[in-house]
Amino acid sequence: MFPTPIDKTSSATRVAYKVALPVALLLWLLPLLAVALTSVRSSADITSGNYWGWPTSFNLVENYTAIFTNSPLAAYLLNSFKVTIPAVLGAIALSSLTGFALGIYKFRSNLFVFFLFVAGNFIPFQILMVPVRDLSIQLGVYNSIYALILFHIAFQTGFCTLFMRNFIRTLPFDLIEAARIEGVSDLRIFWYVVLPLMRPALAALSVLVFTFVWNDYFWATVLTQGAHAQPITAGIKSLNGEWIAAWHLVSAGSVVAALPPVLMFFLMQKHFIAGLTLGAVK
Amino acid sequence: MAGITLNKAIKRYGAVDVIHGIDLEIEDGEFCVLVGPSGCGKSTLLRMVAGLEETSGGDIHIGSRNVTRLDPAARGVSMVFQTYALYPHMTVAENMSFGLRMNGHPKAEIAAKVKAAADILKLNDYLERKPKALSGGQRQRVAIGRAIVRGPEVFLFDEPLSNLDAELRVEMRVEIARLHKEIGATMVYVTHDQVEAMTLADKIVVLRSGRIEQVGTPLDLYHDPDNRFVAGFIGSPAMNFVKATVRDGRVHAPGLSDEAFAVDIALPPNGTDLLVGVRPHHIAIDPQGASHTLIVKEALGAMFHAYLEAPTGERIVVEVPEAEAVGLQGEVGLRMGPDRLLLFDARTELRLR
Ligand SMILES: Nc1ncnc2c1ncn2[C@@H]1O[C@H](COP(=O)(O)OP(=O)(O)OP(=O)(O)O)[C@@H](O)[C@H]1O
Ligand SMILES: [Mg+2]
Repeated sequence: MFPTPIDKTSSATRVAYKVALPVALLLWLLPLLAVALTSVRSSADITSGNYWGWPTSFNLVENYTAIFTNSPLAAYLLNSFKVTIPAVLGAIALSSLTGFALGIYKFRSNLFVFFLFVAGNFIPFQILMVPVRDLSIQLGVYNSIYALILFHIAFQTGFCTLFMRNFIRTLPFDLIEAARIEGVSDLRIFWYVVLPLMRPALAALSVLVFTFVWNDYFWATVLTQGAHAQPITAGIKSLNGEWIAAWHLVSAGSVVAALPPVLMFFLMQKHFIAGLTLGAVK
Repeated sequence: MAGITLNKAIKRYGAVDVIHGIDLEIEDGEFCVLVGPSGCGKSTLLRMVAGLEETSGGDIHIGSRNVTRLDPAARGVSMVFQTYALYPHMTVAENMSFGLRMNGHPKAEIAAKVKAAADILKLNDYLERKPKALSGGQRQRVAIGRAIVRGPEVFLFDEPLSNLDAELRVEMRVEIARLHKEIGATMVYVTHDQVEAMTLADKIVVLRSGRIEQVGTPLDLYHDPDNRFVAGFIGSPAMNFVKATVRDGRVHAPGLSDEAFAVDIALPPNGTDLLVGVRPHHIAIDPQGASHTLIVKEALGAMFHAYLEAPTGERIVVEVPEAEAVGLQGEVGLRMGPDRLLLFDARTELRLR
């Protein structure tokens, strides 16, 4: 069998495997462990420079209460949801329509339009920083959650279209032809035939896009300032005092910020992995 | 009412013609079967009638209407696909009623039509099931039911039985024949199974590389083929062909016999090359003779197929009754009536009659 299962290999390989795996895991998770540990330290530990040693006291409850009572973290968290949920819905709605159009219709510039969507993904978005900021000012949405929703939808739709179009291409085309012969209008074919069959793709893509948008830091800092609009990824730095470092609070905030996508991942793990391969196959 | 007429119908993909100007007349209520080898354009032709493929040239009439540029929906046709094309997320009843529901027919009318179709196809027990929970034959019946409920003038079938196993195929074949009798609509049926073609058709159209080779009733094609292709395509096991020449007003076919055959057809001049065709069941084996070598016998039950090699190296298949076949071995001779031989021009492959 290929690959040979580990428990059928020589004992040296087995031992090496059993040692190397935990070490690799530990290395991989070290930054996360450090953040988690720091989030329960006291401020005394931070000022005395005890970043890596054993905490002198465990302030789990104090720290996690402090970030919500002494700072606008709750507002930032709410902003994150207010940005992410509409952005996911918008990108998915648009891309299932574009994917349907590019997947089903035969027209001369089909492939060219499809490549435009795909090519958009290859532009490093940093170079768009200034134009996008100017555009958002002209549109009157600068420094509001609408700016983030709008531009996240715009940037995610390219990737989502690629994904949706490829998925729709895997559906049996006979289904659509059968409906056409029966005189069903195209919009109804989309709604009653294609959309119900796209459920796995919709689930997978929602999880992916949710994670992408939630974890965004770049646009959050470029397009918004302050607790009225910024999502939590950008808001965490406000936990650091103006004069004193409060890394234990920043860490606690980071853990809170990381929870929703992690939860989402574990809840929808099956779809997430399916989603990563869906786009790749075919 | 709703016959189908094709007028120089052409299908072109880029610079490649796959259908080369087909003229065909299908009467109202006729069961017309399109047969031909894989890739000859059967599906393409059917899809042109359905409106799923654009017609590049010529025109198509259904009934008195020119439908060449019409949408599939406006042509009044129903199609049954090889893959069944059932909507997997809908129940059998929803599948059958989908087209009617989407076009705003009244609920009571839809229910009545679905019930009628389910009665005809004996689907009443499955109406609430999803396609996944049905066998292949049941799925195909649902697909046919979906075609029936719309009450179309023309039914189009694209190899509807080729995903079924042999036994079910026979059963569904009978079912389709019964359906045709009951509904009386025009049906066009694509298959490459010639048994289906022979048993179902009022009219068979034999296609090769986008051209019609011959049109006729099943028995016409079987007994009176126009050319070598049709002769070889219709009938199973296929007709035997051997090389022959005209000599002194007789046909000399060394692959069949040393003696020349006297035939009552006007023959071309001496020395002309011919092909002689003869069906396997029109040849008898002469155990006393020694002109051919028996290579293999295949037992099919009451009949055996004997594969022989002629001194010329040509292969001949003969159908032999069981009783004669059992002791058969080694060298044998052949016997056949000269009136059973079909003659073809060796170059054009057209029939000489
Ligand atoms: N989109 C296309 N572009 C170019 N050629 C095509 C296209 N679709 C079909 N063809 C060609 O048209 C010819 C006819 O195809 P068609 O599907 O009608 O064959 P068929 O008789 O139905 O064969 P089968 O029995 O295998 O189903 C084939 O040679 C095929 O290669
Ligand atoms: Mg075909």
